[in-house]
Amino acid sequence: MTSVSTRRVKALPILIWGYITWSLVPVLIAVIYSFNDGRSRTVWKGFSFRWWFGDKYASVFHDDSMRQAIVNSLVLATTTMLIVTPLGLALAIGSHRLKGKSATAVQGMTSVPLITPEIVVGAALLLTFTRLFSGIPLGFPAQLLGNVTFSVSAVVVIVRARLVSIGSSFEEAARDLGATRFQALRFVLMPLLWPSIVASFVVVFATVIDDFVITSFLSAGVESETVPLRIYSSVKGGATPALNALATLLVATTFTALTIGVFGLSFWRKRHGEQGGFKSALSDLTRMGE
Amino acid sequence: MNKAARLWAALAAPGAFWLLFFFAVPFYAVACVAFGSIDPIFRDAIPQWNPLNWSFGEFNAVFSSVTSGPLRGVFIRTIVYVVSAMAISFAIGFPVAYYLARHAGKRRMLLLLLIIAPFWVNYLMRMLAWVNLLSPSGLFSRFVGMFGVQYNWLDGSPITVILGLVYGYIPFLILPLYATLERLDWRLVEAARDLGATSRQAFRVVTVPMSKAGVAAAAILIALPMFGDYYTNDLLSRSPSTEMLGNQIDYYINNSSQPQRGAVLVIMLSTLLLVALSWYLRSTSRVGKERVR
Amino acid sequence: MERRDFLKTLFATTGGIIIGPSILAACGGTTSSSSTGLIIGTPDSPVTLPLVGEPIADGLANEGGTIEILNWADYTNPEVIADFEKAFGVTVKQSIYDNEDAAIAKLRNGTLKPDLIIGMTDTAIARLMAAELIQPLNHSYIPNKANLLAGLQNPYYDQGAQYTMAQFIYGNGIGYRRDRIDPSELAAQGYDSMWNSAYNGKLAVIDSYRDTISLALLQAGVTDVNSGDADVLAAAKENLIRLRTETSPKVDIVSYQELPAGNRDIAYMWSGDILLAPFYLPEGTTADVLGFWYPETTITANDFLCIPKTSAKPVAAHQMINYLLDNDVAVKNQSYVGYQPALTSVTAESLINSGVIPESLVDAVVDDAKYQAGKRITSLSPETDALWNDVWTTFTAG
Repeated sequence: MTSVSTRRVKALPILIWGYITWSLVPVLIAVIYSFNDGRSRTVWKGFSFRWWFGDKYASVFHDDSMRQAIVNSLVLATTTMLIVTPLGLALAIGSHRLKGKSATAVQGMTSVPLITPEIVVGAALLLTFTRLFSGIPLGFPAQLLGNVTFSVSAVVVIVRARLVSIGSSFEEAARDLGATRFQALRFVLMPLLWPSIVASFVVVFATVIDDFVITSFLSAGVESETVPLRIYSSVKGGATPALNALATLLVATTFTALTIGVFGLSFWRKRHGEQGGFKSALSDLTRMGE
Repeated sequence: MNKAARLWAALAAPGAFWLLFFFAVPFYAVACVAFGSIDPIFRDAIPQWNPLNWSFGEFNAVFSSVTSGPLRGVFIRTIVYVVSAMAISFAIGFPVAYYLARHAGKRRMLLLLLIIAPFWVNYLMRMLAWVNLLSPSGLFSRFVGMFGVQYNWLDGSPITVILGLVYGYIPFLILPLYATLERLDWRLVEAARDLGATSRQAFRVVTVPMSKAGVAAAAILIALPMFGDYYTNDLLSRSPSTEMLGNQIDYYINNSSQPQRGAVLVIMLSTLLLVALSWYLRSTSRVGKERVR
Repeated sequence: MERRDFLKTLFATTGGIIIGPSILAACGGTTSSSSTGLIIGTPDSPVTLPLVGEPIADGLANEGGTIEILNWADYTNPEVIADFEKAFGVTVKQSIYDNEDAAIAKLRNGTLKPDLIIGMTDTAIARLMAAELIQPLNHSYIPNKANLLAGLQNPYYDQGAQYTMAQFIYGNGIGYRRDRIDPSELAAQGYDSMWNSAYNGKLAVIDSYRDTISLALLQAGVTDVNSGDADVLAAAKENLIRLRTETSPKVDIVSYQELPAGNRDIAYMWSGDILLAPFYLPEGTTADVLGFWYPETTITANDFLCIPKTSAKPVAAHQMINYLLDNDVAVKNQSYVGYQPALTSVTAESLINSGVIPESLVDAVVDDAKYQAGKRITSLSPETDALWNDVWTTFTAG
């Protein structure tokens, strides 16, 4: 009896390490090839920084359009995160506390973007910005609005999870001591929500910097090209290892943001005596606490 | 409205109105384009804002194309690809999530990190990695070439596209599966074993029903975006023989002068997904009722 | 929250929005449909386009700053661009398009706002005019127009070259790998080679509905590549579906890279593309492996340069047009782009004699006789265009 189950249990670790290898090794190879000395992305010619900053025209550092793409990505991600976090925060608090029909309507509307495919949202926004809200030009303004719209729900999910775990006891205690509702909100709830705000910043930044479909649909030529758009158009047209380098840069940025977020959060938790540490910081960032 | 409600409403208002203007209204705009008219010279769409004046000619044309015309192949193919990709993803992803939730032990944090990592690697980078490996001079092609396998992986091969979808979306499946399985009450499984069930029986009778809702949620979570995927096919194969619904939408909206047809396809896709979603909601609420009993 | 409530409110929210149509129409822009028909010129009945708008005044100074050009990928030598930047004190930015129709749609809705458009062809001019997208040229800025071939100084689609200046000429043919396909075997098959299932999975056609549908027409012996005949087009549709089943073609415009890379063996191409291909050969491979079959009956065409009406830097744009028509600059451009400049000084002989054309690709050079003998694809009336688009969507839907 037990031999069957132990066999299965022994097979699982092989599966899981096999999965991890299959999942990560191709990406590692792509990163390695960004240091290829030759022009090819598949034939290794030796190690060099040629495509990072060596080549005077085609390296990531020197190619104007690649630098522009990097700047565009960073600006778009940062601006989106700064706009969507307060917006989503207020929406989460308000809709969580409101009772009644309007509350459920708002909560329903907030959940829909999470399950809508990006192509539907992208197409809808493109048609809207070119035919209805034509005052909004395509390119950065449209991309910003589109990404904020798509990220609001994520912020609401992150904040609401924490709201539920905090409960309303702290605010009630504050009100018993004479604070107005607004003061309780500002001085009691907000500090407690600080980890969600950080998590929200990090998640939105990482998501928008990786965003492809919505940003692509709402772009307006080379001026508003972000790194994922650049990668996409270059892969189809046969490109140099500079493409690998650009993609590696993108991944590095995302991971840096996440690492800062995770360590910042677990540090905050330790200082404020909350349990969970690293693991709950991690779960904050991957929305597993839904 | 009392004072409390006014505060909460004021807080929620900006976000709510934002979603109304930039999420709900665009859907209406899509409908207005889909059911509007076309400029005769440029074949550009002229939206019809008044629902009373909507014309369904293009919708009917597309619908008949889907049921009996050129678009039928695209729809069927998309469904086949998505279902295949989901089956393979579950075959790989469920054991992985199960192991992580149950048996990981000391290494759990490390494994968790390694499994979460691809979630945060840009989707295009992951596809680019495979484009490099699968190109004729790429490492994978050269590797299987050593065993005499000569195959053009990037040349309109359905296998490549399906496996590409699996590779791309499986992290989005494993995480929610892991979350569900981790939260299950494993004592019930142990109780079943104590009562004499084999581990296989315990799995079938206890684990599976308990995790059904979470599994369905995870399935929906990757099925929906997969139906709208176009870039995976675009990167891994540039052939009409693997054309998916998302490609058609992308073509009509972005690369043609006829956005009306694209709008109709978007409406059809959204309707299909709405149907799937309401089926899911109804079935999970039923499960919830059973569990309460 | 309760799942059932979620369902209810989901339907309520997404389904129940009725907004006063007048409000929406008031805040949105309505696209004005053009009531004038398309003005289409053909070689048999050339057309003088009406003057819409004023050309810029004479003798203005260059605006400086950044000029944005809308161009195909790899279609202008970066060195030529750098030289232009230095000579005229401007910075050049390029936006890339890969599909004429989509580009026109984006120009119309303001997604693209270039100062100069490179590489559009006769199939676009009628719509560019109808949408009033381009401005009349001031020839005093373009003395180099005298370098153009006589016929193209006064093209049938734009008599007097009021709006456009020709740039490259080319013809359609079949590029292939000599090391994989025997040249005489290909020549014997002619157009049928594109339907030969022996090349399944290694074949490509051009991602351009006019060119590829014309391939199907020419293979069937139809020489009217602007046909509006429904039966002829239905037959072309069947022909293309047959091509798709026999050879599983790729449909894109990157054969100039994929053929030399060895990823495909045969492709329907613009002649300029095959002349560009040698640059993408892997190290150690010579241009001998490439070949080009130039059909007796085929399409020849030219592309042109034009300036959008909303161009912010029209003077610089005029100067760039003039610069690209300079004899030496054009030759330098050709060495990178492959396409033949439409200039009298750049003859087929001069190109071949200068050694820039590999021996194996001599057939891809379009001499005067070939150019005159080719069929021209012109703009289509909306009804005909709808038929052509219908054929194309059936073909590409797989």
